[in-house]
Parts: sequence; C-alpha cells; structure tokens
Amino acid sequence: MSRKPYHREMSKTTWFLKQSRYQHYMLHEISSIFVAIYVGVLIVGLFRLAQGPDAWAGWLAAVTSPIGVIFHIIVFIFAIIHTTSWFKAVPQAMRIQRGEEIVPGKLIIGAHYGVWAAVSVVVLLVAGVA
Amino acid sequence: MARSAKAVPWFVFAAGGTVIAFILPVMVFVTGLAPAIGLFGDALSYETMHAFVSNWLIKLILLGIIGLAAWHAAHRLRVCAHDFGIRADGPVSIAVYGLAGIATLLTIIALLMI
Amino acid sequence: MSQRTMELEVMRYRPEMDDKPFFQTYSVPCEEEWVVLDALNYVKDEMDRTLSYRWSCHMFVCGSCGMVINGEPKLACKAFLRDYDGKIRIEPLHNFPIERDLVIVQDDFIEKLESVKPYIIPKQEKPLSEGEYLQTPAQLKAYKQYSMCMNCLLCYSACPQYGLEEKFVGPAALALAHRYNMDSRDVGRSAREHVVASHDGIWACSFVGACSQVCPKDVDPAGAIQQVKFSSAVDYLTSFLPGGKR
Repeated sequence: MSRKPYHREMSKTTWFLKQSRYQHYMLHEISSIFVAIYVGVLIVGLFRLAQGPDAWAGWLAAVTSPIGVIFHIIVFIFAIIHTTSWFKAVPQAMRIQRGEEIVPGKLIIGAHYGVWAAVSVVVLLVAGVA
Repeated sequence: MARSAKAVPWFVFAAGGTVIAFILPVMVFVTGLAPAIGLFGDALSYETMHAFVSNWLIKLILLGIIGLAAWHAAHRLRVCAHDFGIRADGPVSIAVYGLAGIATLLTIIALLMI
Repeated sequence: MSQRTMELEVMRYRPEMDDKPFFQTYSVPCEEEWVVLDALNYVKDEMDRTLSYRWSCHMFVCGSCGMVINGEPKLACKAFLRDYDGKIRIEPLHNFPIERDLVIVQDDFIEKLESVKPYIIPKQEKPLSEGEYLQTPAQLKAYKQYSMCMNCLLCYSACPQYGLEEKFVGPAALALAHRYNMDSRDVGRSAREHVVASHDGIWACSFVGACSQVCPKDVDPAGAIQQVKFSSAVDYLTSFLPGGKR
C-alpha cells in the first residue's frame, strides 16, 4: 500500500488575514511599532528639556502640532488596545489558586482596571496641580 | 535541545508590557492630547517640567518606564517580524535589542543632562 | 422530527489516484438534532463508502473526529447542524499532512507528546503494597483542567506558530507537560525542561491564544504555556545564582 501524504502550505506572510482572531492578535502585536516611536519621541523630548527653554518649546510645538496630535491619537488608540488585550490575558497567564478554587478571571481583570484608573487619576492630578 | 535563553528578553517584555499597560494611555494623554485641548499648559511649561524631571526619584521612574517600554516593544517587534514571514531571527534580534539598548543609554544620558 | 437537506462540501484525497485534494459535494437529508458526524456517517453508509474519516465516541470525550468545519477546527460530533445554514465545508485539520480524505498524519504530534514524558515521574518508585498516593482536592485542582486534554489536535490546527514552524512542540503537548509538572505526585519538571523550555518549546509560542479558543475541553493550553514561561524564566534566571541548578 503506497502512502503519499499531502502537505498543504500555509502562507508565511498573509496567514493573519485569514481569520478574525488572527487579525485581533496582529492588531495588538503591531501596537509595539507605535510604542517604539512614542518612546523615541519621549527621548527626544528629554534631550530638548536638557537643552533649554527654546529647544523645549520647539519640541512642545511639534508635539502639539496637527501632525503631532494625530500621531498621539494613533498612539493612544494602540495604547488602549495594548492595555485591554494585556489585561484580558492576565488570568490565563497568572492562574491563582486559593484552596480548592481558582480566583475568577473577572476579579483579576477588574482589579487591574482599578489600578489602571487609580494610576491614571494620580498622574492627571499631578499634572493638574503642577 | 537546550534551555532557550529567550526566557530573559521575554521576562523583560512581560514586565514592560505590564508597566505600559497601566501608564501608557495616561502618559500619551498628558503629552499630546491634553495640551491640544488646552489642558495642563502649566505642567508642560519649561520651568515646571525641568523642575519635575530634576528630581532623582522621577528620573528613576522615567528611566524605568521608558527603558521597559523600549525593551517590551523590541521583543514584540522581534516576534512580529517572525509573524510577518521575516525569518532572519538572529539579525532581527540584534537590531531590535540593539535599538532598545541605545534607547536606554540615550535616556540615561538625557536624564543626567537635566 | 423535521428534515432538511444540507450540502456537505467535503475535501477528498485518494493518494493512489489523486495528485492533490479536491472538494466533493454531497446532498444529505438531515434530521434537525444531528451533528456533522451524523451527516458524514449518512454519506458513508448510504452514498459513498469510500469516504474516510476518524470517529469513535460520538460524545466529545475521545478526540477522534477533529476536522475543520466552515473554517473552524471543531469536533464533528460537537458541531450541531442547527448552527449551520444549508452549506457546510469540511476539511481535514490544518497543519498536518493529509493521509486520505479527512484523515491526517498524526505522527509529528505523537513524537512530541512522547518527548515531554507525559507520565508521573515519582520521587521514588512505590510498590503496590505501600498503597496509593494520597492527594487533597486542592492538589487535584492544581492540574485537573490540563488533564482533560484528549489529544484531539484542534489546537494544533488553530495554532499559527505550529503552521509557521513545524518544530514547535505545540499547545497540547506543552499543556500535558504542565499537567504533570503541577501534579503533586510528580517531580519530573527538570526532566521535561530540555524539551519544554527549549527554543521550539514554550518559547516558540507568541500567545496568539487560538488554541484555547478552539479547545473543546477548556484545557486552556495557552494559559498553561504562559504559566510555564513564568516558572521557566524564574528557573533560568535563578540558575545563574550560586547554588542554582543548570
């Protein structure tokens, strides 16, 4: 009896377009591109801060320009995508057993959002009173 | 098969991902969205920002956030490259982790200058 | 009991006569309570005896009848016809070579399963006369979820990393390694590490999570792998400290 198993090939470059779950995965993966660019923007900002008021004003103007705002909106959207996908994954990665029960995922996720809200409020307050 | 050293960048990736999950949205809001609608104008003035960042604790926190964010993004970009079909994991790793290292170094230098 | 005719578009492949797979359509009169497996059995019994596919328990505990139904990896015995419109496309599980029709070659998985030592490695072999191992409900809870895996391979079909890199040990094998690592009767974690913590083990996983989404037994292999990443990373880092094992 001759066997001739058939191998179906998977596209190495477009596989993630084939299903919505793969598209979702790619969406939070590419958030890293925008995080990287934003990190670059922040580092430039720190250098401009070190170089004096005029340099800093230049950076601030660029960041608040129309292009700067659009860039920030995009980064913000991807930051939210990262936060929501990250928090959703935490109960899977961090399985906490208390006695005979596993701590419910919703509780863990809720706690994370609670901390996120608290941290955000603190930063906003510090920025507000500065 | 030996134990993979991928454990190390992954650990930093996980730490960085956790930190930016909590702090990135509000940071982006403060640096880019709020000033556009007229909020926090005083906070972002040169005098206030310079005084704020001159504090050593703030410097450490900023280095932590920026450094971890850079290494998190680097590792994720390495995985992304693989997912997009780019199979040169060695050169890609050197490129992304190299950039993260440079970013960390530059952050330290800038913070020391303030 | 009402009937409706469903169109089954089934992938065929006969190695002795076909160069590549093709789709064959069967019009099947179906009862409303049927699952896809019932429709396939009707085809084989009444219409086309040459159709080949694996099945056994017909109650989603054996894991034999995994296939891709309308693009989604499912068990044919758990895919209820009432959830589908008139046309159903059935293919063999992705990422495995096709042996014939809906039958895939599982050898790669079997090798990987064997490589993670999926059995209790006790501290000391206990003779039967010493009695059974005792385990509290809490100790059972620690691994029970991962013991529910029935090797149905839906997770391998869904996993894009397995599709991209066949050397990846894969979700089920790694979840089963975790099942034994978490068992209080087992001390074999370091014996499994050289496969589990290798480049093609947990570190080839990028937490797409598709495996856990398609698992018919809620094993959550993605979660298992991330948990192993944490403990492995800690192991790896602490192995460099004095007294750490390498």
